[in-house]
Amino acid sequence: MLTLSDISPRSTAWVTPQMLVLALVMLSAPLWLGPVGLYQYLGIEIAIWMVYALGFNLLFGYTGLHSFGHGAYLGVGGYAFGLFQHHVGTSLVGGLAAAILASALAGMIVAAAVSHRRGIYFALLTIAFGQVFWFSAIKLHWLTGGEDGLLNIPRPALDLGVVQVTLSDNLSFYYFTVAVLGLCVVALWRIVNSPFGRILQAIRQNEMRASFIGYEVWRFKFAAFVLSAMFAGLAGGLFAMAQESAYPDVMSLHQSGLIVMMVLVGGGLVSFWGPVLGVVLYFVARDVLGALTETWLLWYGLMFVAMVMFRPEGLAGVLHRLRRRPPSAAQTRPVTSGGA
Amino acid sequence: MKKLIVTRRGLLGATAAATGIAAFNGPWKFNRVYAASSDKPIKLGLTSDASGQYANSGASDRRGMLMAVDEFNAKGGVLGRKIETVHIDTETTPATGSRVAERMISREECGFLIGAVSSGVANAISQVAQKYGTIYLNTNSSSPTESGENCHRVKFVWDGNGTNFAKAAVKNSIDSFGKKWLLLTNDYVWGHNTAAATRELVDEYGGEIIDEILVPQGTRDFSSALLKIQQAGPDVVAAAVGGDDQKALRQQVADLGMGDKPAWINNQQDWPDVYGLPLDNLFGVFGTTWYYKLDLPGVADFVKRYQAAYPDTSMRVPGNVFYNGYMATRELLRAIERTGTTNNIAVIKALEGHKMPAAERMQHHDAVIDPVTHQVQQTIYLATANRGAEDPDDMFKILTSSAPEAVQDMGAQGACKLESYADTPTLDV
Amino acid sequence: MIQLAPHLFNGLTLGLLFALIALGFTLIVGVMEVLNLAHGSLFALGAYIALSMIDPAWAQETALGGWWLGLPITARYGVALAFAPLAVGLAGMLLERCLRPTYDKAPLYGLLLTFGAALVIEELIRLGWGTGEQHLPVPDGINGAFFFGGLIFSKYKIFAAVFALAAIAAVWVFLERTPYGAIIKAGAHDSEMVRALGYDLARLRMFVFGLGAALAGIAGIVMVPIWGLRPHVGIDVVIPAFLIIVLGGVGSFWGAVVASILVGLAVGITGAYASAWSLMSMYLLLIAVVGFRARGLFGRKSALER
Repeated sequence: MLTLSDISPRSTAWVTPQMLVLALVMLSAPLWLGPVGLYQYLGIEIAIWMVYALGFNLLFGYTGLHSFGHGAYLGVGGYAFGLFQHHVGTSLVGGLAAAILASALAGMIVAAAVSHRRGIYFALLTIAFGQVFWFSAIKLHWLTGGEDGLLNIPRPALDLGVVQVTLSDNLSFYYFTVAVLGLCVVALWRIVNSPFGRILQAIRQNEMRASFIGYEVWRFKFAAFVLSAMFAGLAGGLFAMAQESAYPDVMSLHQSGLIVMMVLVGGGLVSFWGPVLGVVLYFVARDVLGALTETWLLWYGLMFVAMVMFRPEGLAGVLHRLRRRPPSAAQTRPVTSGGA
Repeated sequence: MKKLIVTRRGLLGATAAATGIAAFNGPWKFNRVYAASSDKPIKLGLTSDASGQYANSGASDRRGMLMAVDEFNAKGGVLGRKIETVHIDTETTPATGSRVAERMISREECGFLIGAVSSGVANAISQVAQKYGTIYLNTNSSSPTESGENCHRVKFVWDGNGTNFAKAAVKNSIDSFGKKWLLLTNDYVWGHNTAAATRELVDEYGGEIIDEILVPQGTRDFSSALLKIQQAGPDVVAAAVGGDDQKALRQQVADLGMGDKPAWINNQQDWPDVYGLPLDNLFGVFGTTWYYKLDLPGVADFVKRYQAAYPDTSMRVPGNVFYNGYMATRELLRAIERTGTTNNIAVIKALEGHKMPAAERMQHHDAVIDPVTHQVQQTIYLATANRGAEDPDDMFKILTSSAPEAVQDMGAQGACKLESYADTPTLDV
Repeated sequence: MIQLAPHLFNGLTLGLLFALIALGFTLIVGVMEVLNLAHGSLFALGAYIALSMIDPAWAQETALGGWWLGLPITARYGVALAFAPLAVGLAGMLLERCLRPTYDKAPLYGLLLTFGAALVIEELIRLGWGTGEQHLPVPDGINGAFFFGGLIFSKYKIFAAVFALAAIAAVWVFLERTPYGAIIKAGAHDSEMVRALGYDLARLRMFVFGLGAALAGIAGIVMVPIWGLRPHVGIDVVIPAFLIIVLGGVGSFWGAVVASILVGLAVGITGAYASAWSLMSMYLLLIAVVGFRARGLFGRKSALER
């Protein structure tokens, strides 16, 4: 099977052609979302979840650490953003910084406990911690509003010094999230292609070998975990702005499982861009199938099962194969998935 | 006027193209006119849950709304306009509720949103609805916060809430069962609110709370709580346990035969949650806003209409959830008819303070939409299991009916601060 | 004042029920090193199939159905308890066929495939049996309550706990005292050897997965009269099963049993003294134990750590 290290070119460029394509698609979206039957708010959620999924894949795909409780950091970020607005002051930058810091802190606590663990034990401890965060969010209702959620979170204006841009309508907020997404994409691209990113990939391929070379493996796992939690926290802060509230449900195991599903279906294990494709596929499938049938999860589940069975490298892997193979050969030869 | 159809979507696209990226500081409060043409259908967005914990109640809720819509369409619609509906699953998840509301308003161009069972989902939808000025009917969420601190100018609440039911139950029960009370409370917002209301009333009527057992949300085994109850030996247990937890609790109390002693006071039992279960599951005294065998004119006909409209459903008679869905939708459409317009502010004003005669609502007392909290003040019934009935559908025995004034939630009056009309965007669909 | 003894007894009973819930899950993890996230859905499926056997909706219209409904509930319940798990076992075997392409890949893929399967099975249950709450009848002999020391206990709870003990013993005897068990255990540790000895590894895996699924189905039939029956009843199963495996140590049969009892006691005792924390206690127990012992109480090294 393909791996991330096979496909992604070891680029040191700040901006790649794929980034330009993404930028073009995202920036032009308000022009065509309506005509193709979608709507602006969906674009906001997609952009936010791209930030979340890309950050998650730093841990999941690149470092090979399978966290199943990542929704916790998205939730913590959302609450931190909301509580900052309610108790400290209405500020966009302050709120997002609080979201990132709070989730970094939560990530550090958990990372300290899990960064010496591997495989199934790592996954299970992330689930246990995720459940503790979710449970606490419901239980501490004097702070979080419990299952009713933390409501009436404002969308503060973006202060650019000379001009204030209000983000209260969905279009301008959409462009703001796309700008944040752009920054995150560049940052993550630099991280995964830096020496640090290479070490993370070495840990995924063979943790023992990486430690024999002399790296203190757990420190890198710790760092990857915290970084990834920070991206989730940022996404959580943006999500709280989008919804103008924060709810505990995003922290549930089910929701944490969905992000794994999205990243995998998109091909996060074989490509930097996998999470982006996965998020788009999930949100559009949910919106379109969900309006057609109440049993859309049945169809999505079947698609997912088929994908794991026959195309475990996900959408990105399929696209990669199609591109690399001459068109004539693709028609005559059946497409087979590679061995392990 | 007639041909001037401006869709918001087209407007946004054009603006975006003309002004580039960040320059669009669009007006926060915009006043919209989708279409003033009289032939365009009125579109209702049905936001009931179709999956998750409240999927079953959500389906019943939706059937109620659809029956009301079909009855109006059969007589030619409202203001000469046909009524259309669109339904999207809110998954019993607040975040999904927000997204569905955004989609229904901005893409489906729904003028009105209807439906909720979970208070979290209702909150999420009403926040979005308030932002756009879209009227939202919370049909079936009975959390006191819905018409209290989380009330909104565009939101109307149609179910009785925890405080209403507690008020109906507490005085009666102290008199007939005893003064030693124990609270069994689900450890989340709804549970705490309901328990607090009960506690206040027990104090007021001279009872005593001997203990409060908190059970976390998601509890499936109540054996330790039930052991503690036996060890404490109260006269009355007032349970504020909801959702799937309540279903497990019911099953276990029935199995132990503890349903009669101590006496149990339960909050509302939604019909779709109990229909078809053995009678032992209906332990103690519980509340409801309506029952299909109330001895009132029109009830039998209503049941017949239900059976004609839904011959295939496994639930052969309508219950309180269906009733609320139906009544909410019908009153909304009537309000539009009365005002002669779909202008949101005009319809809101027509609903506020609106009196609904007992005969029309098939209840024992007149009901009114409280202009301060937007909650329907209605008759509250207490019921218990109807043992020995011939008809297996006839599960409830109605014990008492309380007039709306007697069970009014005074706390909500103080907690609710509705947005002003001026702060609510106007729109006409 | 709270007397502790009844709560300890209650915790022990709970522990045995947790063990029953985790049994099929443990077997599949221990032998095949697959984390079967569809365990909860198979649990629900077992209960729904049993419901259709005990109290079939179509039966009143046919002569055969009328005769069947005329039989005492004990007979119908017994038949359902024996045959519904077989049906779930078949579903499990089908799922195992789907799992085959993932065997030569990281354990993650097995886990993800079963996650997808769980969604599919739950939706199929909604389509087949509806979304409403249903009731699984049980024989009168094990229904109702009895008094002990001035307190009421549930007969059914005791039946379920004894049943759980019997199921644990049966699985242990099967694995440790029969030739089939020996082959299964060998297959877990050295599939090359099993192949070399002439056994068909593919059939072995299919059998083990079927058995694990059938155990999930049995647990469903036994637990549902306590928890109530609804399509998503299975979501309450996977998390405890997961916790128990990790707490006990992956691959250790007795580890899982001991862990179940510990979880039961933790839930039972916190239920008595700090009931609001009774569910959280499981997770705190897990974090405390695994924080000190990386592989749980009795864990061995396993392929799942890759």
